[in-house]
Amino acid sequence: MKINIKLLKQIVGEENVRDNIADLYMYSSDSSVHEANPWVVVKPERVEEVQEIIRYANDRLIPVVARGAGSGACGHSVPIDGGIVMDLRRMNRILAIRPRDVLCKVEPGVVCDDLNRALQPYGLWFPSTPESGRVATIGGAIANNGSGVRAIKYGTVRDYVLGMKVVLANGELVTLGADTRAQSSGYQLDRLMVGSEGTLGIIVEATLLLRHLPKFRAMGIAKFNKLEDAGETISDIVASEVTPSLLELIDDIAITALNKTLNMNFPQVEAIVVYECDGRLKEAVDYDMQTIKEICEKHNAFGIEVGSDAKEMERIYSGRKKLFAALSRYREGFVCTSLADDMAVPSSKIAECARKIHEIGERNHVIMNAYGHCGIGVMHTKILMDATKKEQWEDAKRAVAEVYEYVRSVGGTTSGEHGIAISKAPAWKKEKADSLHMMKTIKKALDPNNILNPHKLMDAPDDWVAATKLRYPVQL
Amino acid sequence: MEFSKLNKWLNELNICIRCGYCYEHCPLYKISNWEIDTPRGKLLLTYGLLTGRIKPSSYVAEKLFQCFYCKNCSKSCSAQVSPTDIFTDARTDFLGLGFQVQGTTVKNDEKRCITCGRCVSVCKAKALSMDISNMRVLVDRIKCKGCGVCVAECPVGAMSQKQGFGVSRPELSAKIVGPLAEVRQTPKVIILCCDWSIYPGLRLSRTELTETESPASIIVTVCGGRIDPGLILDTFCRGAWGVMIACCPLGECEHDGNYRAKDRVTLVGKLLDVLGIGSQRLRIEHFATGEDQKLKKAVAGFVSEIKSLGSI
Repeated sequence: MKINIKLLKQIVGEENVRDNIADLYMYSSDSSVHEANPWVVVKPERVEEVQEIIRYANDRLIPVVARGAGSGACGHSVPIDGGIVMDLRRMNRILAIRPRDVLCKVEPGVVCDDLNRALQPYGLWFPSTPESGRVATIGGAIANNGSGVRAIKYGTVRDYVLGMKVVLANGELVTLGADTRAQSSGYQLDRLMVGSEGTLGIIVEATLLLRHLPKFRAMGIAKFNKLEDAGETISDIVASEVTPSLLELIDDIAITALNKTLNMNFPQVEAIVVYECDGRLKEAVDYDMQTIKEICEKHNAFGIEVGSDAKEMERIYSGRKKLFAALSRYREGFVCTSLADDMAVPSSKIAECARKIHEIGERNHVIMNAYGHCGIGVMHTKILMDATKKEQWEDAKRAVAEVYEYVRSVGGTTSGEHGIAISKAPAWKKEKADSLHMMKTIKKALDPNNILNPHKLMDAPDDWVAATKLRYPVQL
Repeated sequence: MEFSKLNKWLNELNICIRCGYCYEHCPLYKISNWEIDTPRGKLLLTYGLLTGRIKPSSYVAEKLFQCFYCKNCSKSCSAQVSPTDIFTDARTDFLGLGFQVQGTTVKNDEKRCITCGRCVSVCKAKALSMDISNMRVLVDRIKCKGCGVCVAECPVGAMSQKQGFGVSRPELSAKIVGPLAEVRQTPKVIILCCDWSIYPGLRLSRTELTETESPASIIVTVCGGRIDPGLILDTFCRGAWGVMIACCPLGECEHDGNYRAKDRVTLVGKLLDVLGIGSQRLRIEHFATGEDQKLKKAVAGFVSEIKSLGSI
């Protein structure tokens, strides 16, 4: 396919188009295992530019893949069919902060943590910030329906999207939702866009609900000699009257990786549970912290440390945010791959799920660990393996299939926050078998020429290993 | 073997999960906004070269020679990949392949150079040496970290860096013109920051500084040692009421640029006294990484003092 580079340069400016092979390779991968080069990369700055690019692409049936930070874990922005990658990081303006309406309006390229820094002077924040918020963009977080560590109390991105402006596949600009919290019946198309992974339109502006920053925060760390005890503790906390603002499980593998790379000084036990409560009254926060502590003790927790020192809490959060990469150093020769990485299970199944993950890893000759925002049922794992060996990919493929078979058997879901894209599509398609037709019908109605992030979600290949070239130097 | 030095890093490059945390504080990415200028992008370049995905070219070589070695990337990487070490080996291989590129490294103009040796004596990276037999200054482009201390120190303007990275003299001057032209903004205070130590904290503070009472304009440079006396005086000539240089604590600068900056502040301060402007309008402060609150307080205090002094 010949792309009209000259036209694209006219639209966004000479300096905002690249088709050099080295630049194309930059946009061939994200944080997933996949790799596929686009044909050209464009960086629009204005809505009109996005519209013109989309009109051109739709006319010539050229795939368009929207991209933010490229920190996605399952291949969202990997251009599986080539085409145009649209890097939206130049659209990074905070258009309005309206404290009286408790909302803000932002462009898709605004970095999540930057937004929170801008909101801080107003005493407000956008709580549903992913762990990768230091680089992850709002557009990516919406397209993926991210959540982050505080979702247990504050919900996921979908709960904060009041409305948005979207460029559709025909180049038309539509305004969805409203600046209000209440929106009655009628198809809530803004919500449909959340989690659509760039397959239904390009989000060019979002209206986000905000929250007031909590006045008090306290954190606790409980140690457990048995992973099951930690899991049961989390289940009991979720089922209790208390709603913590953070509830995380960290298993022994994650503890080792964090201690090794970041000198976190976590005790080398089978698991730890990190919890946090926040609120307007110190007494109320303390009361909730005490209740959680008692639940931990009931399940044989020991050495529980509770504190509210901002620096120490920041150290723990920071370590947690860097766990994904730290796992790459767990064992020499094993790299951390983002596979089967964020399933969600009913909250009573945390302990069982964590143990299953370890067992499946051992059975398939790879290392799998269990950690995550278990308060909302999200169980993270990663597959640590020798990614240069063909047989390890076969092991990983079996392990992924087994994990998801278990998840489906207990009524869980394939992805709690990282999305589906390519890597998780085979399992997700099994999970959503009876609604795939509905989804395909919606896709067809909004993007009849299938130009927007094609072959992702329900249209992704059935074999994730063979779906694209792998980013690692391995011959399959 | 084409990439004899780079080869050993393949496993490290497999370990990199491409999360992108490394580019959060990369000064080069802030300037170009292109993925290829991020540390992640350059790691991909080396990976692409080793795995045959891309071929060596002048374009690729130029990119790999663009790095200020601030190591903000390494500090943010919990996979403990060290991008700058990998870039250094890539540079060696590219020079071995015969590529002639400059990137962010310095260049010596032999026609202007008086071979005084000043640049050689201030280069902590030992990237500069004197070729006695030919009486010329040699630049080791593997060792040069692009700090620009020699550029600021050269008495005849023979050392230079390419434009496009925000550190050449015309670019630094241009950064000053904008904020100073804002007539409503008083007092006119310019903060020249070193991004080796201040930049991450600066980003944390910036919103609050601009949203609240402080009208100071912050300009990021590369190293305090890059700020030459002419630039400081130029800033006053263009209407600044006060100038603060913010750099690393003494003894902690990778280039000893903060010692140079300190000497220059003393020197220029004396000149300001002679001119009747007053040395109190020029200050140097030292901040370690993460001391954003200290920076915020120092800026607010300086702005307040300059406000009471009024315009020049």
